[in-house]
Amino acid sequence: MTLAIHLYRRVMRRGRLIGLMALSSVPALAYWLAAYDSDPGEAARLYTDILARLGFSFAIAVLILTVAILREERDAGTLPYIYMRPIGREAMAASSIAAGIAAALTLALAGWFVSLLAVLAVAAPVDTSVAGLVQYATAGLGYAAVFVPLGYLVPRSILVGLGYIIVVESILAEVVTGLAQISIWRIALSISADVAVNQNPGEMLNSITPGVGGGVAKLVVVLVLGFGILTWALRRRDAL
Amino acid sequence: MTDTIVAYELSKWFGPKVAVSEVTIGFGPGVTGLLGPNGAGKTTLMRVIAGLQKPSQGTVSILGQDPRAHPAIYQKIALVPEDEAVYERLSARRFVELAARLAKVDDPPGRAQRALETVDLVGPAGRLLGGFSKGMRQRAKVAAALVSDPDVLLLDEPLNGADPVQRAHLISLFKELGSAGRTLLVSSHVLAEVERMTDRVVAMVDGRLAAVGSVADIRSAMTDRPRLVFIEATDHRRLGAALMSTEGVIGVHIEPSRLRVEASDAGDLAKRLASIAVATGVGITRLEPADESLESVFRYLVEGGE
Repeated sequence: MTLAIHLYRRVMRRGRLIGLMALSSVPALAYWLAAYDSDPGEAARLYTDILARLGFSFAIAVLILTVAILREERDAGTLPYIYMRPIGREAMAASSIAAGIAAALTLALAGWFVSLLAVLAVAAPVDTSVAGLVQYATAGLGYAAVFVPLGYLVPRSILVGLGYIIVVESILAEVVTGLAQISIWRIALSISADVAVNQNPGEMLNSITPGVGGGVAKLVVVLVLGFGILTWALRRRDAL
Repeated sequence: MTDTIVAYELSKWFGPKVAVSEVTIGFGPGVTGLLGPNGAGKTTLMRVIAGLQKPSQGTVSILGQDPRAHPAIYQKIALVPEDEAVYERLSARRFVELAARLAKVDDPPGRAQRALETVDLVGPAGRLLGGFSKGMRQRAKVAAALVSDPDVLLLDEPLNGADPVQRAHLISLFKELGSAGRTLLVSSHVLAEVERMTDRVVAMVDGRLAAVGSVADIRSAMTDRPRLVFIEATDHRRLGAALMSTEGVIGVHIEPSRLRVEASDAGDLAKRLASIAVATGVGITRLEPADESLESVFRYLVEGGE
């Protein structure tokens, strides 16, 4: 727990956080502009559509924050202060991913809160925004499980992560059925579509059927895989 | 006396560069100085011993266990790394407390306070480490290492940047810990510094062990080996001829602007030089000993005086 708190606090620098919260709020601001003159019903439908299509800005914000969890320790040369403590690599990996999830959820809450304000501003039903909260929270969880190990293992992790988000998640997963099944954004979308009202994610879901059970199961697999890969990578315990 | 740290045929290389070469050595309780010039492999040896780098060859055990395979051993080991890396946005107190919490010791704030008192850093403990001088950072790192009360302490150039008063304070602290039965391996490239801490010295150069023994042995090697002295005089030929027949002078080379003299004892040569100058009527304008670095001493030791 101590390690997770330390890693979380370390990446939560004020300037960076404000910038990333702003990035996470881009879909909400776009929604507010788009739904400004709409009637409540139309505004509710637009919420889902815009968050689903522009929500990748949230994914990018999560990427920037979560790859830094272990990468910053390595780059700053402070990893020995963690390595040379009686902490098993499983605990180290779990703490790192927990810190990443906490960081992602912080951004999720910020992005959702701005979207809630936008929903209130355009007089759409308040329960419309539940979809945004579920979408951001579940996607953040999945992305953290992928991006924390990526930051530790890959030198240019932000670039690689951006490639994944833009090419795989945004473009390929929309047209390739197999990729849509393992797209974290669409897994989150399938969960939010099932639990929220006024939902019509339509084409974004591709071949995925809305459903909490399947989505959660996939997220658990992503989490276990992320944890396993990071635990495996930490076996070397090399600080340089 | 049982060795707490044992390195057996330890080698570490990075691509074609061999940083540590076939080192077999043991360190027991007390303070051992790890001496060597910059680039000798001291830091790599420390990191491999600490388990922060995997040996390319050979084995390491601390208190009978391989630290890379048994992280629980880190309850009893601490390292003060050479580089200045610290958590710049943490205060010294938070940094030491974090170390205590990660080490899973009881009463982290109390332990941190005691460790900060030990290194005389209580006053500025609330300030951010990013604003600390190098010497203060070193003391904060020592406090973070001491907070878990380790049996084995690996200190990589711990006195770097410390002012003379703090230097004396840390040296006395290390001696105290050594006397209390802890194993301290302290690296330095300054012989005089190590001499104040311990009489046990391991000298390294080019990744190899150059000498293992007392500081007196090293000093003796420094005195025994041939020394280079540069002399500028009014008549290099006449002075060179006179020096050739002087006891203790091994060789004389006349260079364009000076004489390069190789002597078995530079101090003795300096004493004799005045009378030689008077006898030959040559004026000495400059006398400069060269090749005084520890590196040259260690190289001499490694090469066996060849």
